[in-house]
Amino acid sequence: MPDASPLAVEAIRFHEVGKTFPTKPVPLRAVERVSFGVARGELLAILGPSGCGKSTLLMMAAGLEEPTEGRLERGGMPLVGPHRQTGVMFQDATLLPWLSVLDNVLFPATIRRIPHAKVVDRAMELLRTVGLKGFERARPHELSGGMRQRAAICRALVLDPDLLLMDEPFSALDAITRDEMGDVLLDLWQHTHKSAIFVTHSIREAVLLADRVLVMSRRPATVAEELVVPFPRPRDPRLADTPEFTAITAHLRGVIAAGMQGEMA
Amino acid sequence: MRGALASLGAVAALVALWEAAVRFIPISPNLLAPPSAIAEALALHPALLLEHGWATAHEALLGFLLAALAGMALGAALSASALLRQALMPFVLALQIVPKMALAPLFVVWLGVGAPCRMAFAIFIAFFPVLIGTMAGLAGTESGALRLCRVLGASWWQTLWRVRLPYAVPQLLAGLKTAATMALLGVVIGEFVTAQQGLGYVVMFGASLGETALVLAAITLLCAIGLVLYGVVLAAELAFGLWYKAPLPAGEFA
Repeated sequence: MPDASPLAVEAIRFHEVGKTFPTKPVPLRAVERVSFGVARGELLAILGPSGCGKSTLLMMAAGLEEPTEGRLERGGMPLVGPHRQTGVMFQDATLLPWLSVLDNVLFPATIRRIPHAKVVDRAMELLRTVGLKGFERARPHELSGGMRQRAAICRALVLDPDLLLMDEPFSALDAITRDEMGDVLLDLWQHTHKSAIFVTHSIREAVLLADRVLVMSRRPATVAEELVVPFPRPRDPRLADTPEFTAITAHLRGVIAAGMQGEMA
Repeated sequence: MRGALASLGAVAALVALWEAAVRFIPISPNLLAPPSAIAEALALHPALLLEHGWATAHEALLGFLLAALAGMALGAALSASALLRQALMPFVLALQIVPKMALAPLFVVWLGVGAPCRMAFAIFIAFFPVLIGTMAGLAGTESGALRLCRVLGASWWQTLWRVRLPYAVPQLLAGLKTAATMALLGVVIGEFVTAQQGLGYVVMFGASLGETALVLAAITLLCAIGLVLYGVVLAAELAFGLWYKAPLPAGEFA
């Protein structure tokens, strides 16, 4: 559950953050001075149409892009570059083809020079949780797209980060596998109490997984609507079939559609 | 296994056909010596062929290894620094375009007629495929993998060693295969122009005397040396494949 006490330091906060890419001939304004925070233990979904600048927000949270204006705070401290306690997941699993599934999951430990023996138990536990038990020694090319993405989740979580950033992690998957991955993540979330930002263009995914949803406008991205998801945890994937759930998704669909019309006008 | 037998069978059939053709068609042995005559030449001049063969073999092997090292080092340096690349690429391209054989006599002028000249020339022509293979390989790292390295705070060395190098190896191996044949070619051309020793020298010498069997015997040995050099790269590729244990991205794995 999100820690709502006012004294608690947020996991991450955007202060008036804007981003312009110096493209030619016209600079590209990707993000327009947005401010928001993610409480400890909160799962925030950033929802918006493709190319609205929401991935740029995530790249800045990951420390891979610097804001043009404003600043980011990570656990109360200014964010400069990639943070040790942040796990990141991208659209593609990008597993290294010559490493086994287990070694791919342990890759962050390799880079940080942490002995594998210290984290191998955690890695095995994560693999078991996402249903990859028995595939530790397999090579990535032997796995399906969904399985590869599950391994990528484990890799992002293996060093026990306190913030997980996910950039449309399931968008490269087919619809059925995609729902399945949502369920895996939901299940994983019941056991961990991490902060997370989840960028998606799937309304169902956002409402089912998140504590709070930010709907972004078209580029340059601004927060068009903020919605606290009223469903308690643990949540069941069947929640998505209830009228309450459908009412919320219909509302959000309306907000996104209104934003698009504003663009046309 | 069946493929290997088929290859061997084809070679045997060709040799038999060659032998039969030379025997039944009236053709001067100075124009085309039969396989039996080549075998005879090999048996007749073992000391001569071994001495010159050894000279060729070790110059080619050393030339190949030095070319591989130089090509990999310069390739890595060029892919690491954009400034260096901009400064040196025009030279690299110019040297690529020059018909390198035409420079062989200059090497004699610079380095004399000894082994250093032949090896330098072998390095000179074998080095480019390695350089290009290294650069193409290092440039071919998947962008997602590089982003992962940045997220994890990997150092430049870690990124090179753990990610970029493994991605580069298939292209590098392709470059090394070409380099293996080029190194031998370089030594033989060096032997042609220096005319001191080596199987290239035996070929020139034998041809001037009309000793076709001796020429073909020397060429047979050159083929053997070429196969050994190529085998060195093939062994490296096999070792890499055993470690990699996944389909190679560039499909270079024969």
